[in-house]
Amino acid sequence: MIKQEHWNYVVLAFPIVLLFLFLVYPVVIVIISGLMSGTGSSFIETWSAYNTQFTATFTLIQASVSTLLALLVGIPGGLLLARLRFRGKALIRALIIVPFVLPPIVVVVGFLQMFGSFGIIDSFLMLITQSPTSIVNFAEGFVGIILAHTFYNAPLVMLLVSASMERLNPEIEESAEILGADSVSRFRRITLPHILPALSASAILTFLFCFMSFPIVLSLGNGVYRTLEVQMWNAFRWSDYGEASSLALVQILITITLAITYIKLGRVSENDSGPTSSIRTTRFTRYKLQEKIAILIYLILILVLIGGPIVSIIRAAFFDPIRQVYTLEGFSYLFTAGSTGGLGPLINSLFYGGLATLLSLIIGIPLAYAHRSRTRGIPLLSSTMVLLPLGISSITLAYGLMTVIAVPTGLNINPWPLIVIAQTIIGLPFTARSIEIGLRNIDPNILDQADSLGASRLQRLFFVELPLLVPSILVGAVFAFAMAIGEMSATLFIALPQNYTLAVAIYDNLGVRRFVQAGASALFLVILCVAAFLSMEKISEGSTGGTL
Amino acid sequence: MMTEYPVRRDPKKVVAVVAIIAVLIVATYGVIAFWKPKFVVYTYSSFMNWGDEGAEVVLDRAFAPFEAEYGIDIDFVILQGDANFIVSRLNAEAANPVADVVIGIDNILILQEAARNVLEPYESQNLALINSSLVDALDPEHYLTPFDFGLVTLIYSMNTINTTTHPQLDYLTLADLATTELASALVTEDPHLSSPGLSFLLSQIAIYEKILGENWTDWWEAVEGNIDVEEGWSEAWSAWSTDSTKHLMVSYGTDPAYSANYLGTEPDTAIAPFYYQNQHWAWMQVEGAGLVKNGPNPDLGKAFIDYCLNSTVQTEIAMNQWMFPVRTDLALPSVFDYAIHPDDVSILNTLLNTTEIVTNLQSWLDEYDTVMTP
Repeated sequence: MIKQEHWNYVVLAFPIVLLFLFLVYPVVIVIISGLMSGTGSSFIETWSAYNTQFTATFTLIQASVSTLLALLVGIPGGLLLARLRFRGKALIRALIIVPFVLPPIVVVVGFLQMFGSFGIIDSFLMLITQSPTSIVNFAEGFVGIILAHTFYNAPLVMLLVSASMERLNPEIEESAEILGADSVSRFRRITLPHILPALSASAILTFLFCFMSFPIVLSLGNGVYRTLEVQMWNAFRWSDYGEASSLALVQILITITLAITYIKLGRVSENDSGPTSSIRTTRFTRYKLQEKIAILIYLILILVLIGGPIVSIIRAAFFDPIRQVYTLEGFSYLFTAGSTGGLGPLINSLFYGGLATLLSLIIGIPLAYAHRSRTRGIPLLSSTMVLLPLGISSITLAYGLMTVIAVPTGLNINPWPLIVIAQTIIGLPFTARSIEIGLRNIDPNILDQADSLGASRLQRLFFVELPLLVPSILVGAVFAFAMAIGEMSATLFIALPQNYTLAVAIYDNLGVRRFVQAGASALFLVILCVAAFLSMEKISEGSTGGTL
Repeated sequence: MMTEYPVRRDPKKVVAVVAIIAVLIVATYGVIAFWKPKFVVYTYSSFMNWGDEGAEVVLDRAFAPFEAEYGIDIDFVILQGDANFIVSRLNAEAANPVADVVIGIDNILILQEAARNVLEPYESQNLALINSSLVDALDPEHYLTPFDFGLVTLIYSMNTINTTTHPQLDYLTLADLATTELASALVTEDPHLSSPGLSFLLSQIAIYEKILGENWTDWWEAVEGNIDVEEGWSEAWSAWSTDSTKHLMVSYGTDPAYSANYLGTEPDTAIAPFYYQNQHWAWMQVEGAGLVKNGPNPDLGKAFIDYCLNSTVQTEIAMNQWMFPVRTDLALPSVFDYAIHPDDVSILNTLLNTTEIVTNLQSWLDEYDTVMTP
């Protein structure tokens, strides 16, 4: 038996050692050496510069405004999704998660096409006013960044809020009704306190994502508006390691604080979660007229803000705004090999994404087990390791992997293994968490029965636990894959041209205004994500929401 | 009874087989990943890529004799972005460099400590083939050997504006450019991320500080919010050529030659160099090839740099790189009659000496950041 215990530790130690080697160690070394080496600006010089202070202020303000907007847009949707009974609810729920897993750079394409100059809204206004020139452009600067972040995170709020609402015990509401509480005070006294943990968790996550936002700000910020992450990228390119490390240090301190708060909140809500789907639901026809109008207006807003960009990616794939013509050039680009074609990036995306998915399962499954371990300290260690990637910027990670892993091993001349590692690490929080949720839902009695029937440890794992875990492993795999093919920051940093993925190719094409090529690549990624999520939703029967 | 259950394989065997397969796959990848090419040259993304044939064909033709002589394969690693990013990458790799030679660092970037830290001075035996003024203009300490050069100036599309609608284009000053009309029509490049962008910033500083005796940041204050600063030259070029409101761009004095070659007629691109003190001015950019410090093949690297000055390589520069070859003894294609030549203008670089640039570059860039931050 002692030998078996040892094996347990080996299996649990494996992912933790890997994460130390490929995440903690490179990042720590890079920050320390950047601050100590004396190349470029010092910590004080960096932070006393006006443009750094502007960047920091902008980063905080845009993250706060984006979070507020995402909550405003997301809460009604979450409440409705829980309350309203309608056909196709499972499908809608599955589709809502799509924006969240879309690659940020794809969102940029959709936004430019929907809200940008010569986009759908602009073309419509131009038609009405008979204007030959562009009238509005909401897809740039502060407004564009905020809108894109809202698009991204409102669905996250919706899912977390609706998941929490569905556990609301109907008896409490009924008692309140009998005691004469009106709908306002019912919301204030019962619903709000119930969803508060979910609300704060989604607010923190949203803030965290917007705070570290890179591709959206890089593309829509016109070089004027930068997050700390974007300024860090520029500092690295200008060989100012002192500045980059000074920025990274402050950024990490803030994000780690947020991530820890998020874990703590998660603990609280885990303890008092009731059975799922117990909430009282209503049909749309039961609502009053004003309520119906309000709901309809809200749905139209959601369709424009969240559905619009996704649908307009289809237009972006065919419509060239420069020549004002419809063309298939984007698709011929996707299937053209060679240095000017998109076939190489497409194959790279699938190849790296596939490997990253496998790797994140290999790391994620033991991590999930470690999280359920009864040995003191191990669950805390594993959950910290799992959430760490949420708080570490991809640019810092990429730079760390480059200097600490690639340079000594000579991998930098063909750095694709590093891209796979970076993509794995960035998607790991979601993968590990979905597997862990599956593990939590396994009935311990079944395992006891397997034990008492004389199954060996391996037999129990392979024939009982893993088959029961298959749905959540699939969920984890799809998340890993979506995160990997959408990852742009670290890949952009590490990749040589032969390593470009579609996400990087989209950014490149946007930069030189090859809009249909970017559009067609974006459409390909959207179809890939949607297909993966729909098939997974079928197999796993709707357990994606809990992952977030 | 037993037949009701499927026969299960021993999980230990399954684990063993999976483990063996995994090890085999990782080993294969390992072999592929650790394969090292013999000779590595770092360069930027548009290097020799502006001709009809594309970089691959041109580089193959230009360097095949060198490869044959030394029995090696040259791997041109094209790094995304400008030379700054190459320098940054070389710094990151300084502990264990994989590149032997780097092409594309210019006469401003070489003044940066970051660039000098990763290069090894080398005085090529072929320097006699080129005019020594180019060596002095690029780097008298021989960290770099001149490869090509060009003039950074303003260009405009004659289809959108011309000297009839805008007579000031003939005798352009920065004050003309600061008007809302022209500032909103001007595209330039980020001086942090692009060498023509930095050349333009230094041109502007030279004119303001040395010719006009005014505070250079005033001009940027005036154009901030109107001027379009793109990330790099390629982005700026596509903005200039596709956006009908952008007429002027910071680019190269050879662009009319490119235009004439592309159209097969008279060019539709013209140049508007700055005009002060009764003469036209432009900034001279010299790009060089440098030996990477502690590179894997220093002797091959030196031979490669010598070879870059041969006419086999130098003749390809005009039509594929759209710069002037440093071998001024070679005949230029006839379309280069449309380009401005260094003798046609006064060189702005002469107004700023290198010590001045070395001392002030970082603070100029910081001041630029401050002005351009809203």
